[in-house]
Amino acid sequence: MNPAHENVLTFLARQTVSAATPLILAGIGELVSELTGVIDIGIEGLMLTGCIAAYTIAGATGHGSLGLATAILAGMAVAALFAATTISGRADQIVSGTALNLLALGLSGTIWSLYQNWRENHDLSTALPHGAGYSRQAVGALARLPFFGPVFFDQYGLFYAAVLLAALVWVIIRFTRLGLILRALGDSPQTCQACGIAVRTWRWLAVLFAGGCAGAAGAYLSIMRTHAFATDMTGGQGFVVLALVIFGRWSMGGLILGCLFFGAINSLQQTLQTARYTSHYAVLHALQSVPFEVFQMLPYVAALAALAVLSRNHPGPRQLGRPWPEYTYLS
Amino acid sequence: MTTFHSSPLQRHAGRFSRLISTVALIPLAIGTCGLALGLVLSGLALVGYPPLAIMSRWVDGSIGGIYPLTNSLADACPLLLTGLAAGIAFRGGVLNIGAQGQFLLGALVAVGLSTRWLIFHSAPPVIILAILAGTFAGGLWALLASILERYRSVPIVLSTILLNFVALYVVRAILQGPLQAGGTPAPQSPQIAPAYWLPELIPFTSFHLGIPIAFVLAVLFYALNQRTTFGFESLVVGLNPGAARLAGIGVSRKQFLLMFMSGCCAGFGGALQVLGVTHFMTGSFGNYGYAGIAVALLGRLNPLGIAGAALFFGMLDTGALRVEESSLALPHAVVNVVKAVVILLMLLLSAYLLGRKLRTRQVDPPPANDQGSDKP
Amino acid sequence: MLQLTNISKHFGPVAALDNVTLSLRQGAIHGILGENGAGKSTLMNILFGLARPDTGKIEFDGRRVRIASPVIAQRLGIGMVHQHFKLVESLTVLENISLAAVRGLWSPGRRELIGRIRIWTDRLHWNPDLEKPVADLSVGQRQRVEIVKALCTGGKLLILDEPTAVLAPQEVAELIPALRAVAAAGMAVLFISHKLAEVQKLCDRITILRKGRVVYTGSIRELDAGQIAEKMIGARLKIPHLADHQEPPGEAPRWDRGELSPPRLELRNVSVRSSHQGAWLLFNVNLSVRSGEIHGIAGVDGNGQDCLVRCILGQIEPVDGNVIFGDSSDSHRKTPGINPRSPLGCIPEDRQREALVLPLSVQANLMLKRYHTSPFSWMGLCRFGRWRQRSAELIRQFDIRCPDAQTPVGMLSGGNQQKVVVARELGEKPRIILAVNPTRGLDVGASAFVMKQLLAARRDGAAILLVHSDLDELLAISDRVSVLYNGQLQETSWPDASREQIGKMMLGVA
Repeated sequence: MNPAHENVLTFLARQTVSAATPLILAGIGELVSELTGVIDIGIEGLMLTGCIAAYTIAGATGHGSLGLATAILAGMAVAALFAATTISGRADQIVSGTALNLLALGLSGTIWSLYQNWRENHDLSTALPHGAGYSRQAVGALARLPFFGPVFFDQYGLFYAAVLLAALVWVIIRFTRLGLILRALGDSPQTCQACGIAVRTWRWLAVLFAGGCAGAAGAYLSIMRTHAFATDMTGGQGFVVLALVIFGRWSMGGLILGCLFFGAINSLQQTLQTARYTSHYAVLHALQSVPFEVFQMLPYVAALAALAVLSRNHPGPRQLGRPWPEYTYLS
Repeated sequence: MTTFHSSPLQRHAGRFSRLISTVALIPLAIGTCGLALGLVLSGLALVGYPPLAIMSRWVDGSIGGIYPLTNSLADACPLLLTGLAAGIAFRGGVLNIGAQGQFLLGALVAVGLSTRWLIFHSAPPVIILAILAGTFAGGLWALLASILERYRSVPIVLSTILLNFVALYVVRAILQGPLQAGGTPAPQSPQIAPAYWLPELIPFTSFHLGIPIAFVLAVLFYALNQRTTFGFESLVVGLNPGAARLAGIGVSRKQFLLMFMSGCCAGFGGALQVLGVTHFMTGSFGNYGYAGIAVALLGRLNPLGIAGAALFFGMLDTGALRVEESSLALPHAVVNVVKAVVILLMLLLSAYLLGRKLRTRQVDPPPANDQGSDKP
Repeated sequence: MLQLTNISKHFGPVAALDNVTLSLRQGAIHGILGENGAGKSTLMNILFGLARPDTGKIEFDGRRVRIASPVIAQRLGIGMVHQHFKLVESLTVLENISLAAVRGLWSPGRRELIGRIRIWTDRLHWNPDLEKPVADLSVGQRQRVEIVKALCTGGKLLILDEPTAVLAPQEVAELIPALRAVAAAGMAVLFISHKLAEVQKLCDRITILRKGRVVYTGSIRELDAGQIAEKMIGARLKIPHLADHQEPPGEAPRWDRGELSPPRLELRNVSVRSSHQGAWLLFNVNLSVRSGEIHGIAGVDGNGQDCLVRCILGQIEPVDGNVIFGDSSDSHRKTPGINPRSPLGCIPEDRQREALVLPLSVQANLMLKRYHTSPFSWMGLCRFGRWRQRSAELIRQFDIRCPDAQTPVGMLSGGNQQKVVVARELGEKPRIILAVNPTRGLDVGASAFVMKQLLAARRDGAAILLVHSDLDELLAISDRVSVLYNGQLQETSWPDASREQIGKMMLGVA
């Protein structure tokens, strides 16, 4: 839709929600995993895995849904690797997460080259075939509401899924015994063990869930929002998600607020970038003398600033990042 | 006692105790590399690449002859320095994941000084000043994360990662702005005048002065770790900050210093890379910082081990270029897969093999000294 | 109702339990006595499904059972109160009980659970606020939450693993009728302890374990305290006592003790506030320790001990007041923790977290305070030869049993680890000693060793501040005793004050 038909505010708000969606999706997974005590620095890599899996499978088969499903499964598969090293192998979570990022970078680059070669050898375009990518889905009459319609009810399908998932996870964490278990796992795994709760199994499940969420977030980036793939596609959004979970103090509400805030910064940044070339708004036009790298930097600077302002004195899950069972002594 | 409860990510010191262990260092590292290569090659064989051909081209491209060999060494140099950066910090319990950003800033300052901002008639002062300034730029960038942790409780893990991205865009903005080479819209610096290049020790190869310096630095760091009170203190701080505090070691001061040294190492690497190898800078300037973490882990945080690991990774990179250029056209990104698999295998192997070995050893009754107080 | 036959459990070549046979009846309280490491905890873990026996059989209500996990134990009706509380501090009381007592993933079963909880709390005459986070409860209240939790999950057998270790004497006194009420309700109670007095008050029958073997089972009334103690530890072993370590009569003390000598360590009006809630962690604490005396600080854990210790170590800055070391000439030394040359030796509470670097060698750990001083380093270089020499001396002097000085400290037993700490901290004859729960987790022999070392340091004229939660040990070796309650310190007239009075002060009722 041509932004000229909307007013600035609606356009920005809609871009905000659109940009926040992958953050929300990946954030839900990361939140659950951190609640159980596993910090997954590799979320960035999981998202990238989702991007490449969705794009190549959707491109090869022509079915977006297959791409999406593959992205979720691929995210879970790579997350399983992470779980195997950190939960079963009790290796350091930060280091394993870093390795995961490197792995995803390598794998996606390799697969992307292979995919390009294959498409070229068969005289096919590497662009996503028609119908393989998703377009926005308006929700009936709701989409015609002023402001709220285009902002909330004319989004990509995964946005609605993300909202439902967020609500579901919130209810689970808040009101069910499953939620109690999740919260207890990150705080006191020894209590869980004494209650007969299989600590490692639950952590495995949480990490797999996070992997699936991150995979879906990746799919959103490559086959919904852009219909393209680039090897630096996630561009650090996974790391922003990590900051957001802390920023939101491990609560769903805080997380979503944070995601919307960063979505806003992101959409502003992108709008400002394009405004350099195709400017519809005088305000944006005026800013074009600023180098656009400054705007690209904005989300990261904002994440740092948010952490600096807000992260004090909130403990978070007490056992976050610690292996279970803890070592008594291993040289 | 909630008062002393700090942010969870800051209570991680001590986490590398298993890695620092010297048990089976060399066999484990070599085994890991071999296994990783084997895994990736067999993965590639499944997609239809002939593993033997890849291996022979890879060996040829990395150590077959003086040019491949010097290229491998030249590529190992920045990896060694970022590896040392990660190694020093990790050993002291500081999770500096930001070598990439520190590396970039070091390179940026060095290229800026030697192309635009510092022009003398004689070369040595320019080279030395550019390298020093690049080194300090890296160190100061790292300190930013320490300061954020000290005064605002931002976990270093997160701040260094985010600062990597900030550094990336700072570099791009400056390469688009004040440092842009004329005639191209891309973020790219002008070339450094050949007089200011680091001298080549073997003519017409990429074996520049920085390479032996980097390896000597590794030996110095080894001595620092093993022989000095400074090295002992940083080990204690990394293994158990509580005990260090009780022993009168200023833990946060020490960690500040280690972070600064770590950043300096990475910045030094950036400066050497730009003055010795590339001679100009673009908006995407390699992935040495992240790879440095892999190097440090493969070398088990031991400077000499890191030197060995850097050599291996340098060979991996250089050899892979040959494989990519050859008729096999293997994408270069495979190298990253190998590196990642190396780290993951390293973690898994040290968890399972060493873990099992030590666990059985621990269960043995301590010889005749047990008064029945400890249960396994 | 519960019958264990010939249970054995080995850890490697060590037999933690060797042919243990035990039977329990409904409505009875059965005590299990034994030293640390006698196998009590292993036995409990087997009953609760946290460990599996190598051989032997377990019968419950006449049926042979395999308790493979805590879930199965709970299904059988076994509830357990662990030595270290198994509570999630950030959750409320109700949520904690729900975590343990409800099955299924969805409903936390609030309404039905509250009913079950109330049945038990009424019997125990206790009216807790179920919506309060556990973090806000006192230790005694947490203990009761644990008991109610175990009762709600179990219902037939209640196991208590050293439940009194963290309680004040009065709280222990309240626990006893509560447990009797539980037994009267038809439950079997298994009470594990190494404290004789409680077991004598509470239990009907006892089993004594020594080194994994049952050495006695039967009525408690057939043995007197001395016989029980003898069976527990094999030989009579006394707690070292102050009275045994006075200088011989006639010999003049080598220092001025008491009022005459100036205090070596003094706290004047020290107050500390917790940063977020602004609650007082320490309030107006005055304290002095003189040469050649042991000043004991009694108190239930969590009443500000941690804060007091950190204040003295200079790890936290008091809001108000001063910590003064030595003579007035030394008083500028506000933070001995930062200045390693200061004359302060500290045995911290958690040796593995705060005092030792487990992966490093015994030698490195022994040198941790002196490594940078004159004979041991030169221009920033370590002189390992001197290290070796000095640590060999210390190992001999303090009888540290280790294969050699290069063994990682983590490989040693708990008692030897503590000896390493004691050797390092007391080996250089510091003038001030701060000891926090120095015998925690040690068996009788190792505890006696540590206490003797403190008494020896006292004889040499050190000023010793002993913060200890084991009241009996504290009273045995202290010259003066103060009680820390809720951040406030009150000096007692010990030895004139009675143990009961001090116990009351520990609970703030005096």
